[in-house]
This record gives sequence, structure tokens and C-alpha cells, in this order.
Amino acid sequence: MAWALVGLGLAALVVRRRSLAVGLVTVQSIVLVGLAVGEGDGADQRIAAAALAARSLALATLFLVLIARTREARPVRAGVGPLRRGGLGVALALALTWLVPSLGLASRDAERAVLALLAFGLVVASTRRATLFQVLGVVLVENGLVLAALHLPATSWLVEVGVAFDLTLVALVAGVFHERIFAEFGAGDTEALRSLRD
Amino acid sequence: MTDRQTMALVLIAAPALVGGLLWCLPRRWVAPAAVTGAVITGTLAVTVAATALTDPGHPQAGTWVALDAAGGLLVGVVGVVGMVSVLASPAYLATAGDPAAGHGRRQRTYFAVLYAFWALLLAVPVAGNLGAAWLLVEATTAASALLVGFSGKARALEAGWKYLILTSLGLGIALFGVALVAAGVPGGGLGMLSWGVLSTYGAGPQTALVAYLLLVAGLAAKIGLAPVHNWLPDAHSEAPAPVSAMLSAALLPAVLLVAWRCEQGLAPVIRPGAAQAVLIGFGLVSIAVAVPFLSRPLAWKRLLAYSSLEHMGVITLGIGFATPLAMAGVAIHIVGHAIAKTLGFCAVTPLLAHEPGAAGHPVTGIARTQPALGATVALSLGTLSGLPPSPLFVSELLVISGGFQSGRPWVAATAALLLALAFIGLVRALLEATLGESAGRARRLDPRGTPRLAGLRGLTVLTAAALVLLLILGGASVWLPASDLVQALLKGVG
Repeated sequence: MAWALVGLGLAALVVRRRSLAVGLVTVQSIVLVGLAVGEGDGADQRIAAAALAARSLALATLFLVLIARTREARPVRAGVGPLRRGGLGVALALALTWLVPSLGLASRDAERAVLALLAFGLVVASTRRATLFQVLGVVLVENGLVLAALHLPATSWLVEVGVAFDLTLVALVAGVFHERIFAEFGAGDTEALRSLRD
Repeated sequence: MTDRQTMALVLIAAPALVGGLLWCLPRRWVAPAAVTGAVITGTLAVTVAATALTDPGHPQAGTWVALDAAGGLLVGVVGVVGMVSVLASPAYLATAGDPAAGHGRRQRTYFAVLYAFWALLLAVPVAGNLGAAWLLVEATTAASALLVGFSGKARALEAGWKYLILTSLGLGIALFGVALVAAGVPGGGLGMLSWGVLSTYGAGPQTALVAYLLLVAGLAAKIGLAPVHNWLPDAHSEAPAPVSAMLSAALLPAVLLVAWRCEQGLAPVIRPGAAQAVLIGFGLVSIAVAVPFLSRPLAWKRLLAYSSLEHMGVITLGIGFATPLAMAGVAIHIVGHAIAKTLGFCAVTPLLAHEPGAAGHPVTGIARTQPALGATVALSLGTLSGLPPSPLFVSELLVISGGFQSGRPWVAATAALLLALAFIGLVRALLEATLGESAGRARRLDPRGTPRLAGLRGLTVLTAAALVLLLILGGASVWLPASDLVQALLKGVG
């Protein structure tokens, strides 16, 4: 399952269309919900899984609404081409796997998957010009961290719910900004956001 | 739960309730209710801070709420800065670009979000565990980003977007560090990471160091420490001025406290001196990066923003030195910086009313054309530059002495040199801003013919209060290094 999450993350890193990327990240979140459900049947796990499911649903709805409300004549060009993005992501993931010692999670595969998702998220956020893709980069990073949290020995449901709520809130605020940037500049393109310099 | 912890919870609830109430009140009552709520919350915060600071030897540490000397200090700072920011907001709203801003739905939204931000900020210093602290810091991002982009102008949207994405990514990295710590604490979990438990981390010093690096690097993005400070000058300069005051004087040190608590918890597990060295590195780089910008002619708010970078660097450096002298310097610096920076940002509304060009250009000769405003600018910038006898001069001296005391003479000497360069840059800016030639406005305006500037009367009162507080702080700096407070700051909440 961990490697399926990595595959979905890598695909989200290289695809051109934002709707496709939203679909991939949503499937990734649903896989994480499945993993959370399979983790155990205690009350804490059930609440954490429910929080994750609610977060996935909320984010997918939010992104789809944003795409519908901010239709673009053509996709915003990425700063870096798909092959180079993929290469950068894989290289950073390998470097992190090499640099970071054992995280203490249940499986080494899960640890590698966490690091890979972290790397892909960082590369998406730093190489894509489209505002929506930058938010997806943050969500990819958070999905990696959710995977790590699922493999922790004990987790308070309160913190799990809090993390899910916080991230949804941040995505919601990012959505507000995306719409206002689109209205101001005619595209959700961060290339237009370069006036503040010293 | 102890009385002090209950008081802390009441303090957090107060602004949250007022913020909620503002959504329901009739429109004309919103501003008066916000101002009243600010005075109540500010008074509560000072009370909580006083109880923690008068008995610093007995920190109250629970799983979810903790109140120690450092937490008390920050609660006081956040409370007072928040109160002043709310009190200064009606003048800002009255002069904001949108003529309806002072009376419409935007006013209600502004105050409600500002109160939410304030409540979250007050909760950060009293958070009893790392997981909760992370959640609160992340939540401040959502609230404050909305406030940064409040004006809706293109530049504000740009600043808000940068702030949101960069700090969210940074906090993602920090959350990775939190997860790593949770994996290494016996019987741990994200909700079990009370500050005292961090020192029981058992997965080895190497992993502890990685976790700590991730935590500090991630939080540094939110604190605005170089080299991950890119959002800071933009957000500070484009946010509404009262919000900039909260960002600079309250948010940055509150998040720095979280990094400080991580250092105190994990340092015993990591190789001796390594945890402190990381903070010293961030502190020194931040001051070094700020120096060239402080030597340039900058618009007032951007100058204050780069000064935040310098001052967060000084505080981080002092925490890294971790000696009694440095700790005394840290305490004085946090308070003195908050007073001077709040004053500086509160001066923005009347300053822009007097000289609209100051939004994009350096202020020059303000004392010649508007003496009251000139006095405020001089007090703020004089304090921030560390001009003797400003308390920040004393605190920088204490931090540098603390560097020598900790056995790091080269770091202390480098910091002294950098601070001297920053001082020169800021003093030059101070002279230009107050006494420089003001092109086209060289004559002193006749006060009777000068249009009344929004917020100037309040600013004059604030300047007088700030002067008194700075004098008291300067006096306190004499006995502080040998006080129980400094020992409590060194010991931490654990």
C-alpha cells in the first residue's frame, strides 16, 4: 500500500492538468483512510479514520469547486518540465532516504514512502507556478505525514482530528486566496506574484 | 488542574468568545465591543503573566496546559500587543482604501478574524505539549494569512500567498519532526508529547538530532529566521498595520518559544552543545542577512520587517547561548522589541495619512513636518537600533556577554560586529526619518492648518506609555541577570 501511495504522488508530480492532479491526490487520501481503518478497531483509530475521511472529502470538494469556479483557457505552464520534475522528486526522495536515519516507524518501507511523499510535495510546491498545484504540494507533504502518524505506536485522536481540521482550514484559506488571485490577475499563476522585492 | 492553568484557559476563551460574539452583534456595536473585549483580554493576560512571573520557580506543567516563566512572559507580551492592535484598528479601518471598510461587513470580518488570531496566539505559550503547540501554530497561519491579504490589493494577495505556502510547508517539515519525536518517546504518541517527556526520547542521539533539526528548521520558516524568512518582509509590509504589529511583536516570539521548548527538551538527548549550536547558527545568519537591508533606504514598514529579522536573530542567539546573562538579555529583548515594534507599526496609519508616499518610499524629515509623529518614529527606531540607553542596547550587550560566558568568543565577537553594523544602518535611517530633508515639505506645517490625522491622538498616548514601559524595562535590566526569573527561564517548563 505504501508504494501505491508513492506511485500516486509521483503521478501527481508529473501530470499537467490540475483536475487530474486533484484526482490523484484524492485517491491517495482515500488509500490513507483505508490504511487507517485497517490499523485497528479501537475508538481512537475509528475517530482518526473518520477525521481523515472527512478531510479527504472536504479537500476534494474544495478543489473541484475551485477548478469549476476558476476555469482557465489553458493550463498554467510549469516552471520545470514533467520529466525534470519527476527526476528532481525521485532524486530528492533518494537523498532523504540516504540522509535521514531510521524514523522508528513499524516498517522501513513505510518510512521510505513517507520520505518520498515529502520530497514529491516539496518539489511540486517549488516547481509548479499554478497556485492550485502549490496547495496540492502542501497536501502531498501532509499525506506523507499522515502515513507516518498511522505507523506511530499511540496517537491521540484529538491531535489527529486537530491536524486534519488545521490542514483543511489552511487549504480553505488557500482556496480563498486562489480565487482572489484569479480574479485579480486572470489566472492562478504565481508568476504574476513577483512585485514585492528589495 | 491548578488555579493558574484555569486562569490560562479563561484567558484563551475570552478573545475566542468575543470573536464569536462579534459575528452576532449589530453592526454599530462591533467596534465598541471589540475595543471593550480587547481591554478585558489584555488585563487578563497581564494578570496571568504576573502570576507566572512573580513565582517563576514553580512552573505548572500539565499534559495540555503549561505555564512557566517563559510562557508567562510571552502571554503578557501577546496580551498587550493584541490589545494595542485591536485599539489601533478602528483608525486603520477608517482610513483603509475601501471607503466601506470602516462600517461594513469587512469590519466585522476583520475584528472576528483578528480575535481568532489573538486567541490562538495566546494559547501557543501555554500549550502543554508539542502536538498541541504545533496545531495552534498551524492554525495561526490560516487566521493571519487572511488578515495579511485583507486589503485585497494585488501586493497584499502576493504577500498573503507567500506567507501561507512557505509557512505551511515549513510547518509540514516541523510536523515530520513532531512525528519523529513521537516515534521515539516510550509509550508516546502525538498527544503525549508534554514538554517534560521530550527528554525521555529513546531512539538515539542521531535520530533525536534529525528530529530536532526538522522541528527547528520548520518552525524557523514561521519565526522568519534566515534563510527561510522570505515571506516576512512582504507580509509585514502589506498586512494592515495593527496586524503587522501582532505578526512581528507577538507571533514571531511566540513560535520561537515553541522552538526554545524543543531545544530544552531534546538537548539532553542530543550530543552536548549541538542543539544550542543549531539555534546559534540560525540567529547569527538572521542578523547577517538583515544587516545589508537595514543599511538601505526602505519604506517604513519594510524597514521594521527587516528589523524583525535582526531581532529574532538576537533572541535566537541568546537562547542558543543559554547562560544567565544571555537569558536576561532574551527576556529584556522580547519585551523591548514588542514595545518598540508595536509603536512603530501603530505609527503607520497616521504616517500614511500625513505622507501617503511613505507606503513605498523611506520616511524623511517627519519631525520637521509633524513633530508628534516624529517623536513616535524616533522612540520606536531609536529603541530598535539599540541606541543607548534603550533597553535593547542593554539586552544586546547581555546576549553578547552571554556568548562569552558560554565559551563561544568568536560567535559573540561576530554577533557584536554584525549588531554594530545593524546599529549604524538603523541610526542612519532614524536620522533620515526624523531630521532628514523632506523633499517638497521642508517647511513646518502650521498645526492649525494641518488636517487631523487618524489615530494621532491615540498614538501620542501610546508613545508616552511606551516611553514609561521602556524606562521601567531599562531599570529592571539591572537586577534581572541575578534574578530567579532568569534561573526559571534556563530551567524551562520541564
